[in-house]
Amino acid sequence: MLIRVDNLAKHYPIAGGFFGHRTVGAVRAVDGVSFSIDRGETLALVGESGCGKSTTGRLLTRLIEPTAGTVRFDNMEISEMDAGELRAARRRMQLVFQDAGSSFNPRMTVGALIAEPMHLAGASAADCKARVQELLPLVGLAAEHTDRYPHEFSGGQRQRIGIARALALRPDFVVCDEPVSALDVSVQAQVINLLTRLQREFGLTYLFISHDLRVVRHVADRVAVMYLGRIVEIADKATLYKAPQHPYTRALLSAVPAHRPGAVRKKTEVVGEIASARAVPSGCRYHTRCPYVMPICRTEEPELTELGATHSSACHLVQTSH
Amino acid sequence: MAPALLSVRNLTVAFDTRRGPFDAVRDVSFDVGAGQTLGVVGESGSGKSVTAMALMQLLPDTATLTSGTIAFAGPSGSRNLAALGEREMQKVRGREIAMVFQDPMASLNPILTVGHQIMEPLRLQMGLAKAAARARAEELLALVRIPSPGDILRAYPHELSGGMRQRVMIAIALSCGPKLLIADEPTTALDVTTQAQILELLRDLQERLHMSVLLITHDLGVVAEFADDVMVMYAGRTVERSPVQALFDKPGHPYTEGLLNSMPPLEDEDPEVLQAIEGNVASPFALPPGCAFHPRCPYAFDACRQALPPFAALGEGHEAACLRVPC
Ligand SMILES: Nc1ncnc2c1ncn2[C@@H]1O[C@H](COP(=O)(O)OP(=O)(O)OP(=O)(O)O)[C@@H](O)[C@H]1O
Ligand SMILES: Nc1ncnc2c1ncn2[C@@H]1O[C@H](COP(=O)(O)OP(=O)(O)OP(=O)(O)O)[C@@H](O)[C@H]1O
Ligand SMILES: [Mg+2]
Ligand SMILES: [Mg+2]
Repeated sequence: MLIRVDNLAKHYPIAGGFFGHRTVGAVRAVDGVSFSIDRGETLALVGESGCGKSTTGRLLTRLIEPTAGTVRFDNMEISEMDAGELRAARRRMQLVFQDAGSSFNPRMTVGALIAEPMHLAGASAADCKARVQELLPLVGLAAEHTDRYPHEFSGGQRQRIGIARALALRPDFVVCDEPVSALDVSVQAQVINLLTRLQREFGLTYLFISHDLRVVRHVADRVAVMYLGRIVEIADKATLYKAPQHPYTRALLSAVPAHRPGAVRKKTEVVGEIASARAVPSGCRYHTRCPYVMPICRTEEPELTELGATHSSACHLVQTSH
Repeated sequence: MAPALLSVRNLTVAFDTRRGPFDAVRDVSFDVGAGQTLGVVGESGSGKSVTAMALMQLLPDTATLTSGTIAFAGPSGSRNLAALGEREMQKVRGREIAMVFQDPMASLNPILTVGHQIMEPLRLQMGLAKAAARARAEELLALVRIPSPGDILRAYPHELSGGMRQRVMIAIALSCGPKLLIADEPTTALDVTTQAQILELLRDLQERLHMSVLLITHDLGVVAEFADDVMVMYAGRTVERSPVQALFDKPGHPYTEGLLNSMPPLEDEDPEVLQAIEGNVASPFALPPGCAFHPRCPYAFDACRQALPPFAALGEGHEAACLRVPC
């Protein structure tokens, strides 16, 4: 096991009052999630926009501090690491940002951007340069791109710069936050093939955040479905796509756009208002939109319960039938 | 096809870079029918966003529209937007043509609240008073399915998730009821359920307000469901134009065919390695002669290396720039 997360939470205070000095509530961006990822495994994280996926990714790579809970990386508790250990650990875990374009320093050339993590880790200029030349073709960019600035690239090209940068230090663990959503399907296929090849060759471990359930089906070993800061279902890929148990997972799968025009798609099952991390509903967080809601769902939050060796779901309906 | 609201002819955009000049968009022509959706797909870097920015006259300083006309049949008659001055163009932007940019974080101002940024066009363009603008802003956020809209008005962009920012951009674009919406990857950061709801909203607005949409997207599923017509771009040029059904049934250009084959399956057997088009996109500074796709094309023959292939018709409104298409 490379990553183990227990009861991880991140709450942001909501400022209120006339001068905004008073805290009037909290955004419960991530609200108690637990999971683990094996070495060499890909865990995909899917769920509604705003449900806390990126926040989870940032917590795992320690870009932000959790409000509660623990993250263990290679059997070491991250919050207990001293500065040196944390630096070493950070080198081994990287993040490909969702919004690649805006995470770059606009005054740095592409070569400098990709080399920056190596440079900070103390690599020589010659080594940096050599590695950049190695990485560019790997992500489908040309060597001549080194001296250009990020704004001179298209959205998809910037995303590939982000991927090259994350791979520069040969990390063990990479959080990929929507790594391919800005790419055309052919380049997307190339980048996915690259990520899976690197995984095979170097035993890389991925947390793969994506909205594209086709892509997730291809890359993931296991899939975790999040809803309003919580994991509502987690299963191996085959089970999740064939026999989803949580009503939200089923709704999500029903909303994937059809492959061809005119193909009849099951009508989107998701109804109702998107719930807010700023006002989390009582009981089961999904009860306000669930077509199968029972009285207990309004008052009691269902626990993530094991349904099989690699399948857990948090739903009262599923629990009563098991 | 419905009478065209927008007719673009021979659009060419050149960039002047330190490495010398190059054309990011070459001789691109297309129509968007009134109340219709034109989907634009193509290789990453093929000039889709630059085309969109040229329509809005929002090109960076280093770029020039070197040729082409942009006929827009707005409320005040048909005009060539390419010839309008900045003052006149300001009146067109937002009110008649609105744009959702590909990179929402870069187009929202980080130091202003979301509310400020939604209310500004409502106050300036629509002349609403502050209270009315605030009420309308909340309505717009609810329309794009943002929960707790009142709270979100007070939030700063960095406090929103990627998909929320994208929806804020859509809300701003819709705020003045444009005739044409240019949406550059408007749903890439959205989960499939929210995406379905946003597309339903756009379709509804399209019917009620007779709005046209130029939809740039990589998601062929979205194109299949939402577009009436499709334009495929490769290396700055249009390589195929088609009604949506015909494009999926009978792709005319080998690049289009490669794209359709690259889509991972949802139900069928999952392949070990995804199909991708071999090779990389050509450098704009060193475009291959003839058809720019020929080095990657499985069907290329000698003539493809010689001269630019002309468009050949495949059916009603369906044409591809490929020599293999029988004339
Ligand atoms: N710095 C912050 N301050 C306050 N709230 C925040 C902050 N960052 C995130 N949030 C809130 O936390 C919630 C989760 O955000 P997050 O970015 O993790 O969502 P996400 O699942 O990645 O969504 P998307 O799919 O749209 O990218 C959202 O409601 C967001 O508004
Ligand atoms: N400011 C700029 N300076 C120089 N070149 C640029 C600039 N902006 C874009 N380009 C180049 O112009 C070409 C077209 O870019 P554009 O952003 O239109 O691509 P795109 O089709 O939208 O791609 P994507 O799908 O990745 O968003 C690319 O080769 C890109 O590198
Ligand atoms: Mg996110
Ligand atoms: Mg673009």
